[in-house]
Amino acid sequence: MPKEYRFIGKPTPRKDALDIVTGRARYIDDLVLPRMLHGKVLRSPFPHAKIKMIQTDRAEAMKGIRAVLTHYNVPTWQTGIPRHVKVLDSKVRYVGDAVALVAAETEEIAKEALDLIEVEYEELPAVYDVEEAIRPNAPQLYEEFPGNLLPLDVPTFGPKTLSQVVLGDVEAGFQEADIIEEGVYSYENIPNPLPIEPPGVIAQWDGPKRLTVWSATQSASWHRFIMQSKMGFPDIRAIGTHCGGSFGSKNYAAQPLFYAAALAQVTNRPVKVYYSKEEHFGTFSLRLGSRFRGKVGMKKDGTLTAVSGTWFVDTGAFSDMAQAQVAVGCGEAQLMLRCPNWDLKTKLVCTNRSASGVIRGFGGQELEAALMPVVKKALAKPDIDPVQFIKKNYVKPGDGYFWREGNWWVSEGMDYSKAIEAGAAAFQWKDKWKGWFKPTAINGPKRIGVGVAAHGNADVGEDESEAYVRLNPDATATIHVSVAESGMGQRSSLCKMAAEVLQIPLEQVQITPVDSLVNPFDFGLVGSRGTYAVGSAVIEAAENARQKLFELAAPMLQASPESLDTEDGMVFIKGQTDTGIPWRRIIGIAQTCTGFGRFEPDYSKPNFLILFTEVEVDMETGKIDLLKVVAATDAGQIIDPPSLNGQIYGSLGSAGIDTAIFEESILDKKTGQILNINMMDYKWRTFSELPEFQNVILESGIRTHRYGAVGVGEIATSPGPSAVFMAVSNAIGKTFTDYPLTPDKILAAVGKKHGE
Amino acid sequence: MKAFHHYNARSIDQALSLIKDHDGQARFIAGGTDLLGVLKDDILPRYPLAIINIKTIPGLDEIEEKKDGTITIGALSKLAHVAGSPVIQKHLPALVEAAQAVATPEIRNMGTIGGNLCQDTRCWYYRYPHQMGGRIQCFRKGKGPCLALKGDNRYHSIAGGKGCVAVCPSDTAIALVALDARIVIIGPQGEREIPIMDFYTNMGTILKPDEILKTIIIPPVLAESKQIFLKFTLRKPIDFAVVSVASLIKEEDGMCTDVRIALGAVAPTPVRAYSAEDMLRGNSIDTALAEEAAQQAVKGFKPLSMNAYKIEITKTLIKRSLVQ
Repeated sequence: MPKEYRFIGKPTPRKDALDIVTGRARYIDDLVLPRMLHGKVLRSPFPHAKIKMIQTDRAEAMKGIRAVLTHYNVPTWQTGIPRHVKVLDSKVRYVGDAVALVAAETEEIAKEALDLIEVEYEELPAVYDVEEAIRPNAPQLYEEFPGNLLPLDVPTFGPKTLSQVVLGDVEAGFQEADIIEEGVYSYENIPNPLPIEPPGVIAQWDGPKRLTVWSATQSASWHRFIMQSKMGFPDIRAIGTHCGGSFGSKNYAAQPLFYAAALAQVTNRPVKVYYSKEEHFGTFSLRLGSRFRGKVGMKKDGTLTAVSGTWFVDTGAFSDMAQAQVAVGCGEAQLMLRCPNWDLKTKLVCTNRSASGVIRGFGGQELEAALMPVVKKALAKPDIDPVQFIKKNYVKPGDGYFWREGNWWVSEGMDYSKAIEAGAAAFQWKDKWKGWFKPTAINGPKRIGVGVAAHGNADVGEDESEAYVRLNPDATATIHVSVAESGMGQRSSLCKMAAEVLQIPLEQVQITPVDSLVNPFDFGLVGSRGTYAVGSAVIEAAENARQKLFELAAPMLQASPESLDTEDGMVFIKGQTDTGIPWRRIIGIAQTCTGFGRFEPDYSKPNFLILFTEVEVDMETGKIDLLKVVAATDAGQIIDPPSLNGQIYGSLGSAGIDTAIFEESILDKKTGQILNINMMDYKWRTFSELPEFQNVILESGIRTHRYGAVGVGEIATSPGPSAVFMAVSNAIGKTFTDYPLTPDKILAAVGKKHGE
Repeated sequence: MKAFHHYNARSIDQALSLIKDHDGQARFIAGGTDLLGVLKDDILPRYPLAIINIKTIPGLDEIEEKKDGTITIGALSKLAHVAGSPVIQKHLPALVEAAQAVATPEIRNMGTIGGNLCQDTRCWYYRYPHQMGGRIQCFRKGKGPCLALKGDNRYHSIAGGKGCVAVCPSDTAIALVALDARIVIIGPQGEREIPIMDFYTNMGTILKPDEILKTIIIPPVLAESKQIFLKFTLRKPIDFAVVSVASLIKEEDGMCTDVRIALGAVAPTPVRAYSAEDMLRGNSIDTALAEEAAQQAVKGFKPLSMNAYKIEITKTLIKRSLVQ
């Protein structure tokens, strides 16, 4: 049974809720600095071309224009892994690639000036398919990356960064197998997670080496600690505004930051670059393209004996974080599939479309969606219940895996069998599962099918966090931590964690604004690390501050610090509340008492989420309706029930479940344009079509921090695509090779191909 | 959006004279839900210098039932108003369904039925935003070939097209075709009344930039007829039709005595399935006959490289409109 707490586990109002719903919350679009200019980007009409000439005179002469920049006169900053993405280049590599930048007094003037810039291009052939791109005669995007292959031996997470899974002896593994299945499966929708707010940055230089950056980002501190090294190490002060959603994509915004900073430098004025929705769609952080070509070996009882093959990862025009995603994806695959023999190789490829970036799912979702169909094909032969397979093969305490930095870790986490059983019961899996490729029910032309998939991530304890907690004499506390609010409610949850340690009302705990000048280091709200990693630092800082408070109070109460307790701003001897003295007397009204906390990475506690889905497929139109979703997990201890439920409901949208049904960026492979870069043609689920959605969240406690909690938010999207893929296959009795399962594919699969 | 002059017209005469004064550089605006998108995305090579608001003209948003059963709908009637009108609900359920099927409540509260009939195509090549590397020139814009022919044409015509294979996106047009509606257009040369089928051309509508769609006239509907409007989309709300079908069937003693079937989003214009109608008339409609008629309706359709599936959906919708 979970412990009873004053705040932890209870629903409490989000501290910023009123500001958001009353319009007081300030987003990047609300922020206007004195003398601020607006930056706009001229974008390439071609997927691949050399810029032969740029004529900017007419644009520069326009009233209200303060700067026009081209590849001739931009700073030499570079981003990407390894560094290969310039601010502006003499070559463009996707439709929408940046060609020139303008800064103007108004956004309208800036837009008009773009039409006055004349550019002559020399068109080059383009390549869009991940396997075509690595053929000998394919068009080459970068001289430094022959064969369009990006290096994987880069120290993204240190010298041993994971880029493949090689373990045991796959040949022996296949010999042991009763069933060997192979195939090629593509998860190449390149969807956009589409937070409501597009990315935006304001940059201002205070001297040649001091840059201040305001941004609507999920991990604003990246704009300091990641971007400094890419810009010649200026002292960057990174400030976060309210962030209108991110789903990973707005962890940072390297391109908008480059553009704003370059224009701010040349004009010596603050410059805002706030992307339009079209730019957001067409030039910002798509999901990686993922294709698995390989095979799996399995025994009749569902014991995996070998996984081998190639994972083709298409990162588009450049790699922003693709190597990091490959590393995490390779790690996550091992959590999902307990197998002694692996030979999973990776090829990271660039192609002529808008680049992929960081997105919730971070490599793991992409690999799972392409790899699981072949595993499931193998399960179908002996008709193994997939729920039993997941129970048998999800990593258990004592099982090992290579994690992203290349080290071998042994799980000290949970056995999630109970969560699997609870989810299956809530979904009524046993009644609904009729076997592989068999519908649950047939209602005239409509067929019901069910599917399931599970996902996990050991990133809950990734990277470093630091926090200060300052106790004030008025019995309030201030948390100094660099945590942005991009919708998950983590700022409020951290306040709860501190309030619980300090036993003061939640209203008396405040958290500092997101500002790298004010706060110690935090890696940011990436993966599901908020609860365990950031939480641990905040808890430790609060405990440390409380300890200092007790040390100050001990002589006053003539007791040892260990014998003291505090509640509602009073310190007293445990069990003797009448001995209490207020914080203000202990701390002194002109002083404060500060504690420090730090978290060091720990990859030994994977989280877990299993997703059951039920779909209805219309055999005569090919339409899929998502009827029901049950998500089951064990969070150890829930910190804030509405926040956690919200995270899990978020498996809909944000390029999750619906990438199996209709979410996709539609790339014209003749012209290179993404055709559906608007909220109408890009299909995303609306409120009118929400399925029945039930969360089953166990609280068994896990050895993390004092609350025994573990984060699960990030992984909610990941099992969705392969679960729906399986549900649809079961409904109609056919399988597919690529996502999304649009009506044309359904109708073709059921044999209604030519309208005859 | 670029700057433009904005005028509120107080009468049709004033609107016509304002547009004449601007010599082809002005556009009329009603609900604006389509035009503002066109302007914001800057998809056309020419940008209007002036916008003339016709919502301010009184008397163009009335719905009336005449003594003989004819119903007239002012073109400025909002879609929500059309769908909620007791007269329409009583006599024209197919139009209610079609109006209700358009977009979202917000857009139905803004958009007019006239605008729904006149809206520009949704072809994604045509609509490609200028800011993302430049607007796409195409046959419809008077320069170059139709890109959908060789490109991604999953939502385009399955029944041909002369030069351009974009489809007519209007939902209400399809219901109105099945209802045999006529429309009244007013322009510098005065008023004219035409059957709604004649309103549409391969490249949009016959409406000239200096003309206004004024009224929709629906003749008395066949007594006790059954009216159905079905729309296939990937999502329930918001989406434009992948395929839509409006059917009007009159049956006496189990026998189909008259029928009209209109198909939407299958061709550049609404399509009447005359030969399928002929098969049904005089017969008792069962599933087998409905399937046969559906097959007949798509006979001669020529799908493009990526949209043969739309033929299957068209057949399904026709069948379901007849027997469900």
